[in-house]
Amino acid sequence: MTCSCSRRDFLARGLYGIGLGTGLPVFLSRTSAALTAQALQGTSMERHPERILVVLELSGGNDGLNTVVPHGDPAYYRARPHIGVPVREVLKVSDHFGFHPSMVGFERLYKDGRMAIVHGCGYDHPSLSHFSSMSYWHTGVPNAGEALGWLGRLADDHLDPATRNLIVNIGTSQSLAVRSGKHSPLVFDDPARFRRDGTDDEKHVLAALGGDSAKSSNSTLDFLAATARNATDSSDFVRQASASYRTPVDYGIGNAFGGGLQRVAALINAGMKTRLYYVAYQGNAFDTHVQQGDVHSRLLMYTADAVRAFLDDIARIGRADDVAVMMFTEFGRRVEENGSLGTDHGTATPMFLFGKHVKGALYGQPPSLTDLDDGNLKMTTDFRRVYATAIKEWLGYDDTDAVLKGRFDTLAAFT
Amino acid sequence: MSRSSRRFLCCLAAAAGLGAAAAAAPTWTDDLSPIAAADWNAERAAHLVERAGFGGTPEEIQHLALLTPQQAVDSLVDYQKIDNSAAPAFEASGVWDAGMDPFPPSRAEAVRLGREHGEALGVKVLPDGSPRRLQPVVDKFFYGLRANSIETQRLGVWWANRMLTTKRPLEEKLTLFWHGHFATGDAKVRDARMMLRQNEMLRRHAEGRLRDLLVGILEDPAMLVYLDNGENVKKHPNENFGRELLELFTMGVGRYTERDVREAARAFTGWTNDVLQFKVDKEQHDFGDKTFLGRTGPLDGTDIIDTILNQDATGEFVAAKIYKYFVRDEISPAVKAELGRGFKTSRYEVRSTLKRIFLSKDFYSPASMATQIKSPVVLVISTYKKVGLRELPTVPDFGRLTGGLGQTLFDPPNVAGWAGGRTWITPATLLQRGNLFRDVLFADAKNFRAPDRLMPGTYARVGENIAKGMNITEATKEGTGDAESNAQVDRDEDYNTRYASYRGYLMAFERTKPIPRRVADLSLTSMIAAAHANTAEAIVDHFAKRFLSVPLSAKDRAAFVEFMRGKSVTSEPALRELLYLVLSAPEYQLS
Repeated sequence: MTCSCSRRDFLARGLYGIGLGTGLPVFLSRTSAALTAQALQGTSMERHPERILVVLELSGGNDGLNTVVPHGDPAYYRARPHIGVPVREVLKVSDHFGFHPSMVGFERLYKDGRMAIVHGCGYDHPSLSHFSSMSYWHTGVPNAGEALGWLGRLADDHLDPATRNLIVNIGTSQSLAVRSGKHSPLVFDDPARFRRDGTDDEKHVLAALGGDSAKSSNSTLDFLAATARNATDSSDFVRQASASYRTPVDYGIGNAFGGGLQRVAALINAGMKTRLYYVAYQGNAFDTHVQQGDVHSRLLMYTADAVRAFLDDIARIGRADDVAVMMFTEFGRRVEENGSLGTDHGTATPMFLFGKHVKGALYGQPPSLTDLDDGNLKMTTDFRRVYATAIKEWLGYDDTDAVLKGRFDTLAAFT
Repeated sequence: MSRSSRRFLCCLAAAAGLGAAAAAAPTWTDDLSPIAAADWNAERAAHLVERAGFGGTPEEIQHLALLTPQQAVDSLVDYQKIDNSAAPAFEASGVWDAGMDPFPPSRAEAVRLGREHGEALGVKVLPDGSPRRLQPVVDKFFYGLRANSIETQRLGVWWANRMLTTKRPLEEKLTLFWHGHFATGDAKVRDARMMLRQNEMLRRHAEGRLRDLLVGILEDPAMLVYLDNGENVKKHPNENFGRELLELFTMGVGRYTERDVREAARAFTGWTNDVLQFKVDKEQHDFGDKTFLGRTGPLDGTDIIDTILNQDATGEFVAAKIYKYFVRDEISPAVKAELGRGFKTSRYEVRSTLKRIFLSKDFYSPASMATQIKSPVVLVISTYKKVGLRELPTVPDFGRLTGGLGQTLFDPPNVAGWAGGRTWITPATLLQRGNLFRDVLFADAKNFRAPDRLMPGTYARVGENIAKGMNITEATKEGTGDAESNAQVDRDEDYNTRYASYRGYLMAFERTKPIPRRVADLSLTSMIAAAHANTAEAIVDHFAKRFLSVPLSAKDRAAFVEFMRGKSVTSEPALRELLYLVLSAPEYQLS
């Protein structure tokens, strides 16, 4: 046998490719493992069963105007005499726009044609509350109390609930965005702590609990038993995949966000069947009301470094054709700087798509910096158009109306 | 009796019980008629006390089983008749000094107030020319945030202890229901006093009339702040309040128009609060005519509530939510319509609708029994109850335990409350749901770090540096990577944020009462002795009966028995290990 049957390949196939203890040989190629997975999933109608969407959340309201800087617009410098990014420092991508100087990683991705920028994303009647606005982006239903997340509903509508771990959320708690009616997202923060506590004897007993796969008459108990089996299997898998993952790619300064993306890369590399990954900054990191210069610069640098590294890493492991990334924040910030060298809560803000199959360009109408709504940008692109683009053009599910509870045109942003 | 014959009898008993339940299956589901006294038994009494409270000990269940179903339900629902005066009131630390109200919404605002007035939050800025003139104001601002956060933690512990020790369990279970229904979070409100007042208001009306709850919540300072109704003014009505009232609190989406939302918002303009006091700001109230759900006139907030209560949708929506909380996730259209009709006809009396539910055959049908996933708060409190605790253990910390599972009292995730049901469960939380009881049963008081006295490392280092004799600029430098930017911040500002945060923690620790720390006071050896269980099998069966709502599979039971075999049945550590295993079983998540 000539394949490089590494431990992770074995793990991947044993646990996730073809099922445990089936007695099948372990030398199946990755392609055939994927086909088997597809067959098991019973979703042969899927156009792109191998495709993965990674969603990144910049919590706290990222200042879009100092991220994608409208350096060609004098109104920008009038509104931001102290915190505006000087035109000579902007990493220019066009006569009007460019990146904050700390985002060398994004400049490279854009020049490589691996990055789409969508101007002016938002929704009607925007909320300036972190909590409300974030819940609107999470649910994809602004100004309402929808209980499930848009990624959760996407999975409910299109992914087989009998297949485990189709959604992974790296974080200490489950994001509303992945809350699902049928799926149980795999949520963990520190893979090393995703484990059963106890002595070896105790763990031995607990690992075997609920092992009879016979269905009881209690569907909630079946759900719990299945989740328990999944937890037992997945926690070992996740811990080992993460612990054994080595990459020469530099994700930048060791921070939680880059660390989260590296965990995603490790799981993709290990053959996890996950289709939807979710990684968020913790605790309103981007809420830059005061003295935002340094802190915002650092955050943007971490972010750009981490995303660039992730895409390079994914290419390195041969999965560039299968992975796309979407990045959002719950709102942008006020056009005019405030009196504390920071910015207050605002409205419209750019969204980003990354990946080999993204058609690198600027999309949408840039919002005017002078025709404002109470000091805030008027949104030009409903953010759900970008969601629809990811759902339809990338993941290949034509019916976006049901998931998004409305009709949203896509952007033609993927090849 | 030989081991095998005992097991045989046990199986017979289980089979008989299951047989009865199975026979009920086809006819009882969705049947709201009351069950007969002849159908009342210990299994159903246990189910009642699980759902209408936080579960019970075998003795408590036996007591209910000896009553008629009507008496049993009345004894739980008519809780106003039970003297609960021994339940301790919350003892506030008194962290709010004169001048701290109204608390500025941001540090920037506190700084602005300090600059303009020479004082803010009850403290004066330093004289002109002093270094860091605004430091006292910013210190006080951070003190306010930290102290409030600790008070809210204390509030959570107080409430949890009340859930455990109350003589009126349904009162607390209902208050928790309304807390999720009228979800309000301290992360935004930032005022534990307001959160306590809301909690008391919800408890006061919990089994009473929906109208009192609605008026109470719409005049509630915490809710007014949470939904930004302070910004709901005549010229720019803010729809947040009106929308949530219709969508989440009363009618449910799709039963009203966008115009109704706007008109409701107008009716609530000027409804605001002066810190802890509700007030109507007449200057900001729109006295003009509104048309809301077909009614036209110069409607105010109370008129809106009364119009809403005239809608059939309101009875159905709220009754269905009560049903979902107490019975099961799915409600049939017929049951929803019938419960809604009854709720509305009773002038929205919660008590009578609850009695109807708890007496119904549907409530005791297999679709309802042992099919609900316990919320994190219910999981922890009911476990403490079933092991016989009379006081809430605080090592490990209650808030951390439930928070790690997705439920923090006084901090629901958003205005929609906790989604509940299967959303509680992820593979990681399911493992955690077991792990946490290991932390309770083998509590490590020595290495315990109290979250109400925990300073994050960044600020603890500031304190260490100051103690070493460094000045504030040096002491607040964070490693080499951040040094330049921090130096810049220090140079440019008339206060030091990191130092203020450190000072804020210190002052908050000094001025808030500490949460008393104690491990669970329990003896499984006594419990097992009282149950006369002296074999591995008998102990496993006792734990299963006491803690689980569904029978263990033969395989899992055998695994537990095997684990216990060879261990001393009077060994407290061995019994605790076994209990940890039982509480980690998937079955234990079911109520």
